[in-house]
Amino acid sequence: MKKYLKNMVAASVSACTLGIGTIVSAADSVNVAFFLEWGTPNQISKVDKVYDDAMGVDVNWTDFSTGVQMTEAMLAGDIDIAYSQGLAPFVTAIQQGHPLKMVAVAMVYEANDCFIKNGLGIDSSNASELEGKTVAVPINTMADFAFKSYMNALNVDMSTMTIVDQAPPDGAKSLADGAVDMACIFGGNSSKEAGEVGTPIMTSQQKIDAGIGSFDVISVTEKFATENPDLLKTFLDITDEANAAWKATDAQLKKVAADAGMSVPDVKSQMAGMIFMSEQEQLDKYFGKNGIAASAAAALGTLFSDSSDGITIAKTIDGSFLD
Amino acid sequence: MFSWLSEERGSIAAVIIVTLLLCLVISIIIGLKQTSYRAKDEVFGDPERTLGGWYWTLTGISSILLLWFYFSWGMARAFFPETGNELCQAAKIDTAIAPITAALPINSRYFKSTTLTRRNLEQLEILEKKLPADVYDKAEQEKLLKIILQSKQIIEIFSNPKNQSSDSIRAFETIQDGFRELSKTLRFGYEGLIPHPEALTQPKWGTDLTEIPLLPTTPRGVLLDKTSQDAKLLTKIFLKTRNNSAAADALIKTTKEMINNIKKSNESSDFEEDILSKRSAYVKAVERIFRRLDDGTIFPPSALDNLSNSVNDFFLAIAETRGSLNIIDRILVPGDGVVKSKTQCTEQGSGRWLPKPTDVIATFVKLANPDIEGGGGYKGSTLLWWKWIQIADILAFFIPDSLIDLFPGDYGRHSETGVFQPNFKDKALALAQGDIYLGAVPMLDGHIWDSLFRVIVALGLGIGLGVPLGIYMGISRFFKSFFDPIIELYRPVPPLAWAPLILTIFGIQDDGKIFLLFMVAFAIMVISARTGASGTQLSKIRASHSLGASDRQILRYVILPNAMPEILTGIRISIGVCWGTLVAAEMLAGTTGIGFIENVARVVSNYELIWVTILIMGLLGLAFDILMRWAIVKTIPWRGKG
Repeated sequence: MKKYLKNMVAASVSACTLGIGTIVSAADSVNVAFFLEWGTPNQISKVDKVYDDAMGVDVNWTDFSTGVQMTEAMLAGDIDIAYSQGLAPFVTAIQQGHPLKMVAVAMVYEANDCFIKNGLGIDSSNASELEGKTVAVPINTMADFAFKSYMNALNVDMSTMTIVDQAPPDGAKSLADGAVDMACIFGGNSSKEAGEVGTPIMTSQQKIDAGIGSFDVISVTEKFATENPDLLKTFLDITDEANAAWKATDAQLKKVAADAGMSVPDVKSQMAGMIFMSEQEQLDKYFGKNGIAASAAAALGTLFSDSSDGITIAKTIDGSFLD
Repeated sequence: MFSWLSEERGSIAAVIIVTLLLCLVISIIIGLKQTSYRAKDEVFGDPERTLGGWYWTLTGISSILLLWFYFSWGMARAFFPETGNELCQAAKIDTAIAPITAALPINSRYFKSTTLTRRNLEQLEILEKKLPADVYDKAEQEKLLKIILQSKQIIEIFSNPKNQSSDSIRAFETIQDGFRELSKTLRFGYEGLIPHPEALTQPKWGTDLTEIPLLPTTPRGVLLDKTSQDAKLLTKIFLKTRNNSAAADALIKTTKEMINNIKKSNESSDFEEDILSKRSAYVKAVERIFRRLDDGTIFPPSALDNLSNSVNDFFLAIAETRGSLNIIDRILVPGDGVVKSKTQCTEQGSGRWLPKPTDVIATFVKLANPDIEGGGGYKGSTLLWWKWIQIADILAFFIPDSLIDLFPGDYGRHSETGVFQPNFKDKALALAQGDIYLGAVPMLDGHIWDSLFRVIVALGLGIGLGVPLGIYMGISRFFKSFFDPIIELYRPVPPLAWAPLILTIFGIQDDGKIFLLFMVAFAIMVISARTGASGTQLSKIRASHSLGASDRQILRYVILPNAMPEILTGIRISIGVCWGTLVAAEMLAGTTGIGFIENVARVVSNYELIWVTILIMGLLGLAFDILMRWAIVKTIPWRGKG
């Protein structure tokens, strides 16, 4: 019996030590998440180590393929700053109550397109004919958000449609095969493929008129933001400088293309559709009172979950690091 | 009734945990006893030894469930339902004073001032060395060096205790006293504190979208919550405190002017572009460090000593207030504990990604609720239910529309009075398209059924085609030689490798998914049937031959029974692999199915849903397996005795 007791004590002691695990957070390096095949001006600063010099710490860049993975990595403590996380994964993370916050807008770009199969004779003027049709949508992504925004703007009843959850490459393929009547797509190659056999439901101008757009955010862990506001501010400063210096010259494009792992023409066309706002513009338009950041996040939140309220999400949007 | 069960899931979990613990102990005792009974007359390696042993099954199940309860924090919630709420209140304090702790060597090795001084000095040194002599003339170089020198002097001034502003000294004293006061209040205890009535109406831990109720529900929580609010005020003062002194201000002013001068000269004179960019880049780098210094966040080395002490004491007071909570936190809450984010308190560590067993059951019940309008089901489809399906629809599936096109005559047109009178051909088309009513039959429906249907059809096809082919490959030279290369070539290809092709060949309907699963099942069935058939002992075949059996009889009564054990094992394996491939198959074009639920849940990191789908798949696979084991025992009692 005594032996058992001894073992029990030993077991509980080891359980205790497991639980304590002191965390020593010395910010001598900052870990940043970014997307491959997603050209941005600050990649020049990244390659030239401007961030490292300016912040005085090592900046480690890790590439990710989805925004959800960025969230996971931030929660696991491996990433401090997620550069250009999609709005959708950010909002989903906030809805789950994760300790993250949005500190800036990385870039604004046109909403993802929904391609209607050519030959159906459907466009934005008679979009209600989409009712009863089959649509390929990557569920709970920015493309899903765009899809729902289009349908709301064009007053189409979504409940009558068969919605098929497909990744963009698969959706493009299904559109080409005629298995679906419309496919909502993100990503350069898939969009190109879908554009061969379909036409976007709205033109760029129509999208702007209807107020449908997307933006990627710079999100950080709350821990990093409270403990290292100086580093975060410098990070945003450098990003701002890189954006301001962006003139899409050949040398710049080459550098970005090399870092993004893309060809120069692809980077050029991809970045042509992106707007990189200055910090002041962001403060004026996105992070002010009733700014776009909060309203867009709230709109997205309600689309993904019925029990979402905008006020909660707005609390995690903080433009105070932009100055 | 269900809502009551859901509300009380904590207590239910407690009962379950106690039961599991009892089961564990009792089953181990029985197991040990049984083992000692049999130890003497059992032979090592005898398959009979694996028979029976339900008590060890019980031990296994209860220990895995107990582990699940433990790591999902289910035990903490079951026995100390207020733990989450109280930890949340304590986490509020951590969040409230995080800016202060970040400035002190708490959770880090250095004072923030030390880190800043070191980092900025290092960067200034580097800048000094990197001064671009080629783009700045001598006078400017000296100016720049002076700016750097002055920046260093600013750090020096800030670090000197003599220069510390009296404002900041006073502010730190205020904060210090504030923390002392807070520690005192904490030590005074929480007796007599009453939670706000509104707090008691909050949904319980884990029963709502908000995982942990935010408002304090216990006296201890009230005290911690109140402390966090007071501490927030102290943080506010701290964040406003700057180390401004006359000496530093003067230096900051002149340095700023010098930087601006250089910036101005950069803008006004027309340098070549690359020279200009080099010039401005350097000034920007200098200015960046200067701007980090000018807001006076560096304090003398010992300025924060007293504050540090009082904060440390404050943490001790919190630990004392937490009392029993510390032990629960350490033992029953594995992981990083509760973290307060801007919007709510969340579980971090295993509690985050491993939902509590009772919560998983609750999510399952919610999904299984066939009332879709009442919030049941998932994405507009039930989990497993039934519906009426039209007989006409089934019929229409087998009659191709194009067959009707071949009928003589034309399709009808609307008349001049604007009515449409269908003729014979129109009616036939209606039949082919399932547009007429022929009665209805009940049919299973829902995500589970859709997945099951796909697996069963694929398995049926795999068995139906694979077994005969396999047997013939086992006994016929032609079949073996003809099919062997094809089968062996495609068999090792992992099913996922086919996935990209499936979509473009079959489209988004069920046929593609079924085909993918069929490919998996088919190869396994062929191989197992072939092995079974070719393993028949020649003596048996000769014996039946000499007794006058025909070829067909030998096949039916000798070879097939011989192959049966292998075939049934093959079926068991195929079921397992089919379930494994299902998620991938349903990822291609998801509309329904268990794999579809998991794929969508993955995008939004809904861990409860992910675990529900994992468990459903596991349990269905297990059910199939148990069915197969039963079938094996019933149909081939000769297994392993041939």
